[in-house]
Amino acid sequence: MQRLWSAISCVLLASAAAASSASIQSFENSAIVRTIDLGGSLVHVTTTFAVKALKEAVNVYTITLPEDEIFNTSWLEVKVKGNQQPLTITYSGAPVGSKSHNLDVNLEKPLETGATINLVLETVQTHATWPWPKQAAQDEDQSLKYETSLFVLSPYNTSVQRTKFKSSSPRILSYTTPEDVQAFTLENPVTKSGATVTYGPFNNVPSSVNSEFLEQYQQHVVLHYNYDYPVLEVLELKRAAEISHWGANLNIQDDIVLHNAGPQLKGHFSRLQHQTQSFYGRGAPHVLPLFTVQLPPGIRNTYYIDQIGNVSTSRLRAAPSVARGVKNTQNSVMELKPRYPIMGGWNYTYTLGWDAPLGDSGSYDSKTGKYLVSVPVMTEIPGAVVNNAEVSIILPEGATDVDYVAPFPALSNEISTHVTYLDTIGRPMVTFKYKNLTNKHAKPIYISYRVPISAHLRKPIAVTTVLLTLFTFAMVARRVDLTIHKTPTKKM
Amino acid sequence: MSTAFPLPTNISPTTVANTASLLRIVAFGLISGAAIASRLFAVINFESIIHEFDPWFNYRATRVLAAKGFYEFWNWFDPTAWYPLGRVVGGTVYPGLMATSGVIYNFLHYFNLPVDIRNICVLLAPGFSALTAWATYMFTAEMKDPSAGLLAAAFIGIVPGYISRSVAGSYDNEAIAIFLLMITFYLWIKALKLGSALFGALAAIFYFYMVAAWGGYAFITNMIPVHALVLLIMGRFSGRLYVAYCSWYAIGTLSSMQVPFVGFQPVRTSEHMGALGVFGLLQIVAFASLVRSHVSSKQFQNLLAISVVTMGVLGAGAFVVMTYKGWIAPWTGRFYSLWDTGYAKKYIPIIASVSEHQPTAWPSFFMDLQLLIFLFPAGVVMCFRELRDEHVFVIIYAVVASYFAGVMVRLMLTLTPVVCVSAAVALSTLLDTYVEAREPDVPEERTEANGNSVADGKKTKKAGAATAGSQAGSSAAAAASSTISDFVSATKSNANSRQKGIWGADARLVIILNAIGMLVFFVFHCTWVTSNAYSSPSVVLASTNPDGSQHIIDDYREAYYWLRQNTPQDAVVMSWWDYGYQIAGMADRVTLVDNNTWNNTHIATVGKAMSSPEEVAYPILRKHDVDYILVIFGGLLGYSGDDINKFLWMVRIAQGVWPDEIQEPNYFTPQGEYRVDDRASETMRNSLMYKMSYYRFSELYGGGNAVDRVRNQQIPKVGPTLDYLEEAFTTENWIVRIYKVRKEDSLGRDLKTANAFAQGKKRKRGKPVSRRRAIV
Repeated sequence: MQRLWSAISCVLLASAAAASSASIQSFENSAIVRTIDLGGSLVHVTTTFAVKALKEAVNVYTITLPEDEIFNTSWLEVKVKGNQQPLTITYSGAPVGSKSHNLDVNLEKPLETGATINLVLETVQTHATWPWPKQAAQDEDQSLKYETSLFVLSPYNTSVQRTKFKSSSPRILSYTTPEDVQAFTLENPVTKSGATVTYGPFNNVPSSVNSEFLEQYQQHVVLHYNYDYPVLEVLELKRAAEISHWGANLNIQDDIVLHNAGPQLKGHFSRLQHQTQSFYGRGAPHVLPLFTVQLPPGIRNTYYIDQIGNVSTSRLRAAPSVARGVKNTQNSVMELKPRYPIMGGWNYTYTLGWDAPLGDSGSYDSKTGKYLVSVPVMTEIPGAVVNNAEVSIILPEGATDVDYVAPFPALSNEISTHVTYLDTIGRPMVTFKYKNLTNKHAKPIYISYRVPISAHLRKPIAVTTVLLTLFTFAMVARRVDLTIHKTPTKKM
Repeated sequence: MSTAFPLPTNISPTTVANTASLLRIVAFGLISGAAIASRLFAVINFESIIHEFDPWFNYRATRVLAAKGFYEFWNWFDPTAWYPLGRVVGGTVYPGLMATSGVIYNFLHYFNLPVDIRNICVLLAPGFSALTAWATYMFTAEMKDPSAGLLAAAFIGIVPGYISRSVAGSYDNEAIAIFLLMITFYLWIKALKLGSALFGALAAIFYFYMVAAWGGYAFITNMIPVHALVLLIMGRFSGRLYVAYCSWYAIGTLSSMQVPFVGFQPVRTSEHMGALGVFGLLQIVAFASLVRSHVSSKQFQNLLAISVVTMGVLGAGAFVVMTYKGWIAPWTGRFYSLWDTGYAKKYIPIIASVSEHQPTAWPSFFMDLQLLIFLFPAGVVMCFRELRDEHVFVIIYAVVASYFAGVMVRLMLTLTPVVCVSAAVALSTLLDTYVEAREPDVPEERTEANGNSVADGKKTKKAGAATAGSQAGSSAAAAASSTISDFVSATKSNANSRQKGIWGADARLVIILNAIGMLVFFVFHCTWVTSNAYSSPSVVLASTNPDGSQHIIDDYREAYYWLRQNTPQDAVVMSWWDYGYQIAGMADRVTLVDNNTWNNTHIATVGKAMSSPEEVAYPILRKHDVDYILVIFGGLLGYSGDDINKFLWMVRIAQGVWPDEIQEPNYFTPQGEYRVDDRASETMRNSLMYKMSYYRFSELYGGGNAVDRVRNQQIPKVGPTLDYLEEAFTTENWIVRIYKVRKEDSLGRDLKTANAFAQGKKRKRGKPVSRRRAIV
């Protein structure tokens, strides 16, 4: 599963291959449009490459990403415009001296000379923004800064290139005006209209993956903008999914450490001010009073607790269970209200768990005799990035032939043994570790295993044996007379 | 002899015995179920949560025990309590409760049942209530018979007086202590009856468990000696008493000294001297009876007179000298307050400030015991009828416990078991009398009052004759009917002719229906009291929404969790001592004082800081490294258990240590009223507690009248200002307010001046405040 490409740093360490220059000038970019959705923790970047082939039967197009950007990018996908199926990407090393990295996109069918194709590169950047000013009082606005490079890098010549920044609010406080770009444009290199700031169009940009271009023209632009939603980070997510065949149940429990990564609260929290603000409907943008998560339909026994007990301020609208294979139209909606409003810089930890019918996410293949269960990697918290995630899937006791298909490679995974209720030999547990997960990563892990009939019966047999032993012992103990000195029995 | 209603015949005695045994087991199972179920109101209405204050410490200690093992727990020094002194937890707790939970936890986990330690702690008290019911059953069965035992078990299972301390979540020492109390008493009675060293040793082992579990063990330490002493005075000295007492005392005392918190107290404090004295006395009496069997009675009389007088004088003298010299510690304050209810109020306000140390109000006897309180004297009187050794015990227990229950609310708990036992004895006697099928014999012929056939009557008569004589030749039917009668009136001798009794079924029916009716009302009462009065966790408050649904007020946990998540790990939180354990347990932060009120001065220091003006309090706060101050304020919601209502106790306790600086009358208006509105006294309005409670409170009402809904008084429009503290957090309903203590001004000004400067106020012309020391 290479189409989704994460954990780039790992790959970077693995191969520092030589720069690829073979495909240079096999393509030409007739236009590059980069659209950046300015967000809080997550910044969605969509880059459209209008590509024209210059050679015969070329099928590898190279995309170059600058190094500082690639470390922020936690999700990346390339599609042909209008096509749902993502294309295969391989890492092809870093060009010498360019501080950038190449990705080779394998086009499905080779292009003829002069043929055109529109490629769409979608990336999600995490931790790319930072609050500025770093502190905000309770009644102040929240503003963030975002920095990126002005030109989209490409090993090919580009006819026209532009970058659009879209903010959710029209209040963009400042933006960098680029210098020394007269070579590419004669007009104003940057324009702002409403909530959009556009750099470019820049015409006739040469191949930019070389140190001359980078030193001469490449520069950083910084945008300072107002952001009306809290900037959330999940510092740690621990998901444990326990599959129970006896109960036909899939229990999922998330232990979450939530952090408001927006500007630090200046001074202290005033309940009076908070109540006044919410009374007049003017809640501060960097405060998180409540949030909603979408849970699967048909869930039961949902619990929202933290280290000191049940959090009574939550609401669940459970949707009825949906049969497997049928398109799910309605999710259960959980409205979570933390114990206190989470101000900038504050932390909150909680545990959210639920039971779901196993039939909704699992199936039995009678041909291979294997069970197949899908467990989502995470449940999306709107607008939040998950810094560290650990997903453990606990299989039934005695499961063998464990096999899994992950939607994207994990940092590490291992199989260990987990011993819980009335187990004798423990259950196999598969653990996946991830970093910087976004809403795009909320995809299922498919896990398949075999459970022999003897493993099914292990638990009742164990319990029966223990109880029978106890009864037998009691029967024997009652009939053994340990009295040393027989006294004539008398009734009291 | 006739019967009032037909009895089944042709049942073999073994069947009857087996059926009775089965019925007892089923009844006992149901009683256990009812006892556990009626304690789960709190879990169902709220959640599985630890209640109130002390349980939070026990819970925290149990977590340490479960996580780190017993030795770590034993050596646990807790630097976060009583900052900066710390607390040697291992040596200052009764570890029995935590050890019990720890054993259960490890047992379950050994069998791969990963039950959360919190759930074990929450459900420990209901679980042990079933055991208490069993121990009470055994105890009462010794007093009368198993049927009385079942009644007593049912009573103790659901009586509110015991439920009040053992609902799910009420994880306190009393949860297991009442079981230990009853089982120790049962084993003592058993040992005394049989003269058995085995039962004496068993009693000692459970006594040790009790010592390890609850400070109230002193009750057993004194009850058993008093019983022994009374038996001695009644002239009932016997080898059985000697063996039972000596085995209990020797093993029990030695083992109780193994508990670090008790240590050498059993030989050094006055509370334990009674047991030692009786032990000595028993040796003397045993020796005397040995001598008596060897010398003539005249010589013995002289010997006895001289030796008893000498030994008595010597013993008493030694006791006085040792107390005077300080080898035996004198009585503690808590103990004095048992004899003089006004003592604590005068000398140790900290004891008097605890609501459960107040004298009991009369209605609470009815509330906690209902029907049983009326049956109780009757049961005690029943004990006088036979007056066996064990009945003497119940009588003494009844007298002593009644007195103590009248003195202190919390000692209602020790009264409850004996009330259940005596009430069960009384009710069981009543039922025995009226359920008994046989009718009294009358010399002359009489007609059958009920519908019994003549044949039946004849048969039963024959049956009576058969049992009286030999068993041979009598029909099986006859034997069976007599066994049933015997079973029903087990304690009665199987005499054939009875002079007293009840005729007819209707008279029986009236009384029995009445008794059943009363019992039904008792059950309703118990359920009602349990669900309404004793099942609130007090950490979580409940109210109702306009649509009738339950609304949870969770301000305490909101504040504690905020502290836990958003303050430095080593932040010092000052609050009144009531909240110390909760802060340690839920917020996991350092506290100055907590519910283990061992250091009166430290508490008084907090009281002084709370009742002084800011300028005076600030150096105290800084010296104790206080980062945050937490106060409870109920004025917005009308929550009456808040700190302003407790404030006078803070003042009183502080006054006890600093009578020159804090004076209680200053906090009242000249008319002697305790007010918080614009008529409040100057001292009151300047006190830290007042300022922290009402800081910015009136602003919440905009321009309207700010009303404190607890005290129903109007708060002045211009609220107090704070210079040395700043508001850090206030919960949703303003119940918990947390203030941060400011650090000293970086320019060396005092914070008041610095604040005034920051607000742009002009400095008043006057005597310049010199911060510099004069150069000599």
